Amino acid sequence: MYLAPALVVLGGLLAYPIYQLGLISVFHYTQAQVSGGEPTTFEGFGNYSRLFSDGQFWEVLLATVVFAAACVVSTLAVGCALAVLLTRVRAVPRLALMLAALGAWATPAITGSTVWLFLFDADFGPVNRVLGLGDHSWTYGRFSAFFLVLLEVVWCSFPFVMVTVYAGIRAVPAEVLEAAALDGASQWRIWRSVLAPMLRPILVVVTIQSVIWDFKVFTQIYVMTGGGGIAGQNLVLNVYAYQKAFASSQYSLGAAIGVVMLLILLAVTLVYLRLLRRQGEEL
Amino acid sequence: MSPVRQDVESRVNLLSRFTRRPGRTAAEATALVVAAVVAFPLYWMVLSAFKPAGEIRSGEPRPWTSAPTLDSFRRVFGQQDFGRYFLNSVVVAVAVVIASAFIAFLAATAVTRFRFRLRTTLLIMFLVAQMVPVEALTIPLFFVMRDLGQLNTLWSLILPHIAFSLPFAIWMLRGFVKGVPEALEEAAYMDGASRTRFLWQILFPLVLPGLVATSVFSFISAWNDFLFAKSFIISDISQSTLPMALLVFYKPDDPDWGGVMAASTVMTIPVLVFFVLVQRRLVSGLGGAVKD
Amino acid sequence: MKLSVRMLAVAAVLATAACAPQTSGNSSSDKDEKTGTLRVWLFQEVNNQPKEQVVDSVLAEFEKEHEGAEVTVEYIPVETRAQRIKAAFNDPRSAPDLIEYGNTDTAGYVKDGGLADVTEDFGAWDEAKDTDPTARQSVTVGGKVYGVPYFVGVRALYYRTDVFEELGLDVPKTQAELISTAKEIRAAKPELYGLAVGGAYTYGAMPFIWAHGGELATGNGGSYAAAIDSAAARKGIEAYTSLFGDDNCPAAKCAAMTGNDTITAFAAGKAAMAIGGDFSHAAVEAGTVKGDYAVVPLPGLKAGSIAPAFAGGNNLGVLKSTTHRTLAVDLMKRLASKEAQGQLFEAMGFLPTFSDVRQQVAAKEAFVKPFVETLAADTKFVPASPAWAQIDAGAVLPTMFQEVVSGKKDVDSAAADAARKMNDAFGSVG
Repeated sequence: MYLAPALVVLGGLLAYPIYQLGLISVFHYTQAQVSGGEPTTFEGFGNYSRLFSDGQFWEVLLATVVFAAACVVSTLAVGCALAVLLTRVRAVPRLALMLAALGAWATPAITGSTVWLFLFDADFGPVNRVLGLGDHSWTYGRFSAFFLVLLEVVWCSFPFVMVTVYAGIRAVPAEVLEAAALDGASQWRIWRSVLAPMLRPILVVVTIQSVIWDFKVFTQIYVMTGGGGIAGQNLVLNVYAYQKAFASSQYSLGAAIGVVMLLILLAVTLVYLRLLRRQGEEL
Repeated sequence: MSPVRQDVESRVNLLSRFTRRPGRTAAEATALVVAAVVAFPLYWMVLSAFKPAGEIRSGEPRPWTSAPTLDSFRRVFGQQDFGRYFLNSVVVAVAVVIASAFIAFLAATAVTRFRFRLRTTLLIMFLVAQMVPVEALTIPLFFVMRDLGQLNTLWSLILPHIAFSLPFAIWMLRGFVKGVPEALEEAAYMDGASRTRFLWQILFPLVLPGLVATSVFSFISAWNDFLFAKSFIISDISQSTLPMALLVFYKPDDPDWGGVMAASTVMTIPVLVFFVLVQRRLVSGLGGAVKD
Repeated sequence: MKLSVRMLAVAAVLATAACAPQTSGNSSSDKDEKTGTLRVWLFQEVNNQPKEQVVDSVLAEFEKEHEGAEVTVEYIPVETRAQRIKAAFNDPRSAPDLIEYGNTDTAGYVKDGGLADVTEDFGAWDEAKDTDPTARQSVTVGGKVYGVPYFVGVRALYYRTDVFEELGLDVPKTQAELISTAKEIRAAKPELYGLAVGGAYTYGAMPFIWAHGGELATGNGGSYAAAIDSAAARKGIEAYTSLFGDDNCPAAKCAAMTGNDTITAFAAGKAAMAIGGDFSHAAVEAGTVKGDYAVVPLPGLKAGSIAPAFAGGNNLGVLKSTTHRTLAVDLMKRLASKEAQGQLFEAMGFLPTFSDVRQQVAAKEAFVKPFVETLAADTKFVPASPAWAQIDAGAVLPTMFQEVVSGKKDVDSAAADAARKMNDAFGSVG
């Protein structure tokens, strides 16, 4: 059966770990248990209640949601605007922008993070020099650190949106646009009333993909803010879970955070499914 | 492919003719400026990799270098077994791309061409699987890999990445397989082609652009991986991949920026080359995947 | 609600035919091979070259002695040691045989079941009788010995003689003078940090708390209670965090710095003073400030007093999971022998753990004096609880300092939060 390999791989390396994740999250599971120094004990929802009563968890959750939302909105805005721009220029500038975007897209998250850090470095970076900011540190303030990470995230993820939306616009029948243009509609109106509705399926896909990617940002935060920023101010759920599990070896707390993330993303997925259904997509 | 291309080109021409306004020069200027801004970080990375140490550590950074040098690259390749790490990264990425493309192709064919019970459920499962935060699973995967005795081996990176790139690959490929007319399949069987033959000689070439597009995603996720590399390759540094090697040069208070940038350049170039090679197919592939 | 692992496994198998969370079979290995590869993890120091040379010469002799045995050494960064070593406990197959570990981690690692009991080997080692009692204490948990002391680490005040001379300053004699001198220097020479401090430099901050009579935690044996929020401790926190700011060490830079970072800054001539250990000596000597600095004990509150220092230091220990126990123990003894410690002192400035060797080197090398004086005055230790490893890895104290320094919280609430987290940790280990 053609499906067998896929099912084996997904079952073993996706479904089973999810099951384990849930399991670990209801046990008392720290280093001593892992290395066999002490027996494992069942805790029920103890880890969750500890997590939910911790103010820091809520702060991190809020930061994660706001940060992801800001990233998604910026990415979509930049991506769509540039996609429209692409349709309005001749081959040479189009190629230039396309190549630059592909370059940003291709850059691994970790190298992107180090390069952006270097650009904004307080002592040797060109950005502070150009803006005349002296040795202002971008990673010290909570918002400026998040902002820096946001720039990097938008930089490496807008190309996906741009290329996809551009491909979508190209598929729109020229006559439609022709008619709209003849009616004297402005660019913005054409986008709002003609392109956007026709591109809706594509926009839904890129939005959902962006939500998923930006909600899970790990490398950028970890590298650019040194593992979560000063006094943990730049933690997002993913990094928080990692620190809890692998730095403090509270594996069960980390797993509980993982479960929370899983549930949130599951909710997003359900919304996506509903949207697909409404569009009459046949599964 | 040429009629299709012509069609697309003429559409684009039409489109640009209709959107051509007094603003076109402004639009083109904007596009060029944006392109420059977007490309700047990469330019700066490559530039800094070739700068001598003195220029990097100067308070007056300049957008050019008067004395390009390979010192930073020498340091990168000299200090550690960088070639080895590079190879490890390549092995992981290639293995993931090939395996996930192959498995996803079979699965995508199955879910679009065959009717069976639970098909819709399965599709939804694939969709849901895409949303699973890989990072949250690091904890249980760590224990799974330990029990399999695969910690510190490249398998501990390859296997999870295959799993995580599969759902997206299947979902994307589905669109392409669907796009191939069923009539073609029937015609093939009429001509006496076996199912396997149809699959590999007819269907496979037709969905190739889609496979390329999905491969890009698997490749990136495997090549870029930082978290698994950090968590699963703990003690055997001969199995390290590039991201960890790069971090050696990045020490919080006193980073060796020249080394970091040289290592980053080495790590980015292969992906760039790969992207430029598949660029055409990628754009058409993405268009195809989301069109239906 | 307690279930034994076995019951749990049965339940899980019945329910889903799958497994419960695994525990690694990290019981002591039965194998004791006499050939093969020994893996060793040592810490990466700021200036590691000389350390490697000393280690290499020991290894050469070891490999000559034991035919068919080979040793690979990896130098791991101190900041991420907790993760690396825990990961090694989780995966015995890839774990090293011998590790260097900070003496604050002893209790935690023993509780994790990672270190082998070497009480007998230690007793049978003739050099061990000269080990100084504090160092011996640092490898002992519950009367059993889990390694050998490698070196003693204690911190003192490094200062730039040229800068002090140029500005006509006296070496500070009290903590208040220290702080005012630091700010004076910064005002006169804005390109320098007066006293390089780090928000993540726990052991540099401790003397301030102890000097004010504060404690990290009180109690003994099994149970501890955090005392970091006591009035005395808060005064110390106040004093230390007052050093962050544009008038000494700008928070934007210094809040994230670690101990190594402050030494790097001092060695590079970016700071007029720094709190560094005997073990930092080599790194400073290799820096641009060579010849232009001196070291004195870190002053306490009263003139002439010495602030209580943290009795740090590192140990070597054999992992329980090793398959080459005899070889690993032998290598451990060779690496920490009197001869090797003497060489290590010459190479790195690490103070030997043997009382007699320490006296010998102190007589030879003048720079050791302030450190030996500090050791003789008063040293303190972190709570000898397995919870400490967790508190340390969870960055509880750095977080507290950073919260204060960055103005997110005032001293009282940051200290109260830290105390809560510490008590959680103490509570969780029973």
